[in-house]
Amino acid sequence: MSIQRIVDRILVGVILLALWQLTSLWIGFYWVSSPLQVAQRMVAWLSDGTLFTESGYTIGSALIGFTLGAVPGAVIPFLLRRRPVLAAILDPYLVAGYATPKLALTPLLIVWFGIGIWSKVALVASISFFLIFFNTQAGVRGISPQLIRMAEILGARETKVARLVVWPAALPYILAGVRVSLPFSISGTAIAEMLSANHGLGYLIQASAVSFDPTGSFTAIITLTAILTIVNILVNRSERRIFNWRPAAAAFGRPKGALG
Amino acid sequence: MTPATSEPQTPLLAVRGLGKQFEARDGRKSESWVLRDLSMAVVDGEFVTLVGPSGAGKSTLLNMIAQVDTPSAGEIMLRGQTLATGEHNKLNPGWNRQIGYVTQDDNLLPWRTLIDNVLFPFEVYGGVDAAAREKAEALMNAVGLTGFEHYHPHELSGGMRKRAALIRTLVYDPPVILMDEPFGAVDAQTRLQLQNDLLSLWRLGRKTIVFVTHDIGEAIALGDRVLVLSRAPAKIIGEHPIKIPRPRKIEDVFSLPEFPTLYATIRAQVG
Ligand SMILES: Nc1ncnc2c1ncn2[C@@H]1O[C@H](COP(=O)(O)OP(=O)(O)O)[C@@H](O)[C@H]1O
Ligand SMILES: [Mg+2]
Repeated sequence: MSIQRIVDRILVGVILLALWQLTSLWIGFYWVSSPLQVAQRMVAWLSDGTLFTESGYTIGSALIGFTLGAVPGAVIPFLLRRRPVLAAILDPYLVAGYATPKLALTPLLIVWFGIGIWSKVALVASISFFLIFFNTQAGVRGISPQLIRMAEILGARETKVARLVVWPAALPYILAGVRVSLPFSISGTAIAEMLSANHGLGYLIQASAVSFDPTGSFTAIITLTAILTIVNILVNRSERRIFNWRPAAAAFGRPKGALG
Repeated sequence: MTPATSEPQTPLLAVRGLGKQFEARDGRKSESWVLRDLSMAVVDGEFVTLVGPSGAGKSTLLNMIAQVDTPSAGEIMLRGQTLATGEHNKLNPGWNRQIGYVTQDDNLLPWRTLIDNVLFPFEVYGGVDAAAREKAEALMNAVGLTGFEHYHPHELSGGMRKRAALIRTLVYDPPVILMDEPFGAVDAQTRLQLQNDLLSLWRLGRKTIVFVTHDIGEAIALGDRVLVLSRAPAKIIGEHPIKIPRPRKIEDVFSLPEFPTLYATIRAQVG
């Protein structure tokens, strides 16, 4: 990136912050807080550990739920690959499960699992299971039958075919599912925390808002945004590393290096 | 020990009365036969080439011999053992690595480097040891791929990928190797190079090869014997022993005095 580009970007950022500061001077800190107040609160909550504790709840619930959903979501399509009849029987139920708006289940999940992390874990697991399942299944079904046939002729039996041909061929699809569902797991957790919780960044956003503390809400939202940004960067990095064999033009998803 | 007599050698690979009908979309057998009553035999160490017009059923025949497709009639035998018949045909691709198959598409695994593609047959069966590596490296060297071991298929030319696909089959030594127009989609220069490479590799290994092509010149230049396949329903309609001494150089074969006559005879049969 050129120096000029960096300078321009910083300039835009400064202007946006200045507009926010002006807005708050105009209609009152009481409603929209201000960049300075948020910065002060950020320092305070970082030094007393509030942000670490509450982020820990959110990230922890999201990761546990994501794992509980993603692992079976990635494994089951492999098991169904050689069982087309079973796959056909289950298909409408899986499609229905995918279509169900999972966030709408949150109140029930809270009734069943309580207001602690487990209702969030259950929500996130149900979200990531279906996202990963359908992505993985698309990958497993899309694999070239010729490649499988070739491996079989070379002596590969079922487990080797699955491990050495189907898995690497489906991996880009699985990772596409991860790219969508991992950030969604974190924001989903935060939304569930807003509905009912006593910890987490979502709780912090909600609790601050209802006690007329927009500074607190903004501080938690900015923290959440930072976490999501980091997660996105990590997912893209690992994807690039895993797929360094791909021709650039055929790279999966967004064009690589387009921002460089 | 049987004394050497004029008794014909028992074939390594034999096909008898083979027929194939594909299923129509509604699941019933369609009326027309792609192959019908096709018989052929190949002896150990022989390089047989099979020519036939496009769409004749050449790939279908190889698929059935390789055990990736089932015959509708007839019998396929390897060393006197029945692999498949029209009635009993449970597929066993490659027949426990006894039958290698170099397909028209290279079918290299795009996420694997060239050397890992060539080692793939060991990885799926038996494991990669020092001997396997040595063998893979020797073959890569023999076809001029040394230095490209760690490239991915998409980074290489079509000719290089064909070579890699070829040695991926040679590396694990299947006694019978089927080749389906393996040098189809490459330019003439590369093609000549590949054909010469194949002949020199074959001279070292002396595998039994069934090589399918629609290029009559190629069939003559490579084979010990050229079999001619008719249009559908395909059967063998001609057999031409090629007496050109080995070792051969492909470009020299084309300028031999007997070549034009041979070419014209086969050409007339292919129709
Ligand atoms: N899976 C299939 N289903 C139906 N018809 C097929 C199938 N595969 C091949 N055929 C038909 O069989 C004939 C022979 O095909 P093929 O063996 O590929 O010919 P060749 O390799 O000699 O060009 C063609 O007419 C083709 O349409
Ligand atoms: Mg063909």
